[in-house]
Amino acid sequence: MTCLPTQPAAASRGPKSESTTVNAGAATGLRLAGVQTLALTRRSVVSEWRQLGNVIPGIVFPLLLAAVYTHQFTRVILLPGFPVVDSFLDFVLPASLVQSVSFGATEAGTELARDIENGFFDRLRASPCMRLPLLLGRLGGAVVVATAKGVLIIAIFLLFGTKIAGGLAAAVVLVAAAVLLVIAIGGLGQVLAILTGSQEAVNATFPLVFTSIFMSSAFFPTNLMSGWFREVAEANPVTWIIDPVRRLILEGWSWSDVGQALAVPLVISVVTVAMAVIALNRKLSSS
Amino acid sequence: MGGNTGSRFSDDVVIEASGLKRTFGEVVAVEGIDLAVTRGEVFGFLGPNGAGKSTTVRMLTTLLRPTGGTARIDGHDVQKSASAVRRIIGVALQDASIDPLMTGTELMRLQAVLHGISRSESRNRGSELLARVGLAGAAGRRVATYSGGMRRRLDLALSLVHEPSILFLDEPSAGLDPTSRVALWEEVRRLNSELGTTVFLTTQYLEEADELAGRIAIIDHGRLVREGSPADLKSTVGSPTLRVDVDPVFLESARHVLIGFGPERPAREGRCAIGLDGGAGRVAEVVRALDDAGVTVSHLELDLPSLDDVFADATGRRLEGAEK
Repeated sequence: MTCLPTQPAAASRGPKSESTTVNAGAATGLRLAGVQTLALTRRSVVSEWRQLGNVIPGIVFPLLLAAVYTHQFTRVILLPGFPVVDSFLDFVLPASLVQSVSFGATEAGTELARDIENGFFDRLRASPCMRLPLLLGRLGGAVVVATAKGVLIIAIFLLFGTKIAGGLAAAVVLVAAAVLLVIAIGGLGQVLAILTGSQEAVNATFPLVFTSIFMSSAFFPTNLMSGWFREVAEANPVTWIIDPVRRLILEGWSWSDVGQALAVPLVISVVTVAMAVIALNRKLSSS
Repeated sequence: MGGNTGSRFSDDVVIEASGLKRTFGEVVAVEGIDLAVTRGEVFGFLGPNGAGKSTTVRMLTTLLRPTGGTARIDGHDVQKSASAVRRIIGVALQDASIDPLMTGTELMRLQAVLHGISRSESRNRGSELLARVGLAGAAGRRVATYSGGMRRRLDLALSLVHEPSILFLDEPSAGLDPTSRVALWEEVRRLNSELGTTVFLTTQYLEEADELAGRIAIIDHGRLVREGSPADLKSTVGSPTLRVDVDPVFLESARHVLIGFGPERPAREGRCAIGLDGGAGRVAEVVRALDDAGVTVSHLELDLPSLDDVFADATGRRLEGAEK
């Protein structure tokens, strides 16, 4: 048996350890939470960047769909009741934007589930990392990616002749609304990740998100729909976001539209993120 | 260092558990464990798979809530002061829980920031630690490209970024090749001897416990069945076996001399074996006595009891995964 000598250098290490503790102690809880959230956000952005293959379909597919619909629906826009547009492309911008960010919106949940599955979450938990940054860090990555996608999609539409009547400010609102929607969906994904700890379970919600876009005013105005489909579309929160955003593009700046475009996804985000926090607290206090 | 069990309630006890218990539904994973690990000790927690080692570590590292009993790390209750505990401990869990998409450097920085270490300091400390565990060359590579041994070493480096005074290693060398295992042991020894880090390591490898730990607790079915220094534990199993080969003409006289030193034990033909009372220290005495009796010895060997004998004595079974 090796008999190990005991701590000759333990004392010399004292000051360094102390400074670490002082650093941690001096930072207010809020500041530390901010620093931790930023660090974890950076990590999730890096992960997204290194899985770029996952991001590309979310940009290409909505653009492809927009191109096909614009080509096919040249006469649809002439229907009485259809908003006045030069091209279907102008009409479909909010839909493409929402569709693009919805790809990977559940990412904040699947990535969290991946961390739980492979045990990285436990490593974070065994560190002095607070609980909220654990969730916000993953959402942060999704937010950065959604912002980049939003800017890119809008830029491409502008390149192909779309005009945003509300101007640059409206374009910013567009991206902001899309980002808030990502937080809302991501929060829900995180609830599922915490409850199930399974990437598959979180991924299974994607078709639901995707379908809900098609069952909204995204590709067709609700006033031209009929029957149960119209009722579903009008009750669909995606419609509540897309309609004011579309008016900002087609009709121009309006504070009430800005309010609605941001308030709806904001309220849903607050609810789903709060649910994720509650789910996490419950899980941790019961485990 | 080893066997310092007398100070259970002194200030120097840094890992302390009292009646620690954890159940999962009907299953009792850990059943009322008492532990006291003193500062600067390397404490081995030895047991087969499913004995309750990881469950105990998870409770001690604040990851799992005990269903009974208490545990304190350097005076902080693991439940009431979990964040204080997390600041002073380093944890390397089983199944190297490392994000494969990140590089070694990035993970070191992340871990440092989570511990409230400034960015510039985390950069220095990260590269210093990676170099120390032999990963300087691989620091910029994604973890996905690391071998099992490299991941374990990174895992260790990550757990050390905030210079913890207490380090928990859960099955640190599980699945490692012999060379990587020895390198890991060297690093653990160095941490303990140079920095005075208290190390709590779980293992199912007898050799690892024997090599590293100053004191060992053996856990089986959620209960501690033995505790002490490896030497003390082995000595409780009984005396070592002394085997002596002699020319057949001397066999009777050799036997006559040897039974004066301990009870005779079964041996193959032409050989005489006893359980040597008083242990290895009496070998010289035996040789002298044989010489005085005119017995010429052609071969002599002493087999010390192993930790596996200790485990077998305590549980009636041999330890799974035993290598020695």
